[in-house]
Amino acid sequence: MNDIEIAEQEVDIFEFAERGAEVPHARRYRIRIDCEIAIFDTSHASGEAILRKVGKRPCGFELVAEFRHCENEVVEPHEIVDLRQRGLKGFITAHKEIVTITINDKPYRIERGERTVAQILTLIGQTPETYVLMEEKDGPPLPLPANLPVKVCGCEIFHAQVQSGGSS
Amino acid sequence: MAYSQEQIDEIKRYCEKVSALSEGGITFLLLEKLRLPAGCEPSVCDALLCPVSRDGYPSRLYLSVQVSSRYSRNWNMTNARIGERNWVAFSWRVDIPNPSPAQLLIAHLMGFTKEK
Repeated sequence: MNDIEIAEQEVDIFEFAERGAEVPHARRYRIRIDCEIAIFDTSHASGEAILRKVGKRPCGFELVAEFRHCENEVVEPHEIVDLRQRGLKGFITAHKEIVTITINDKPYRIERGERTVAQILTLIGQTPETYVLMEEKDGPPLPLPANLPVKVCGCEIFHAQVQSGGSS
Repeated sequence: MAYSQEQIDEIKRYCEKVSALSEGGITFLLLEKLRLPAGCEPSVCDALLCPVSRDGYPSRLYLSVQVSSRYSRNWNMTNARIGERNWVAFSWRVDIPNPSPAQLLIAHLMGFTKEK
């Protein structure tokens, strides 16, 4: 037997925050994330789960909780947020400056923007002279030209392997 | 040369269709609409992977068109007639012991992404 009284089917937390009122228990919570509305079935969610609702991931984006009176708080990916907490209006997301990429299944942090193949290989202690960098993007891993800048936005999947083949 | 289903599935990720093409005692892998690395023009073309020694190379990747890439290549094979089609290939030597078809393909595609 659930001893929590469900007052509403669905509540919009923004409306309650505007009034400074307590958010009642509900079956679903309407939450503003950037310009989108996301529906949550529970009153608690992790930062990562909230980001996923708008198709974003912590490897590239930061989550910021917006409160009444213009107060903002960064939410860590594993931090659990009480969506019913008083004054919570919703969330905004922001591109991280230092993002996470994976190389050979291991995470590495790197500054967002255009990076060289050499800069990325440096993260695993290698150079383009001996290693090739491959990116898995909308398909299988393909080698990247060593002299072409690589756009890093966060969450990219790279593979590095020893160079093979040569002109003859 | 027989390939496992796993090997075929692995190389299939790089193109729209994979099929075997036998000619002159060699079984080539015909890779239709093969995806090429960034910086290549066109970005997709048909290819024929020869996993055994031919034209003096341990293996070869024939392409349906000459591809421009970040590095200039020596296209020393033009109009190779295989499977009733003309193919081109650049000089690129791959020496990997017992590669899977996908490993061999990637090693040949590296010809578009490294200087020498």
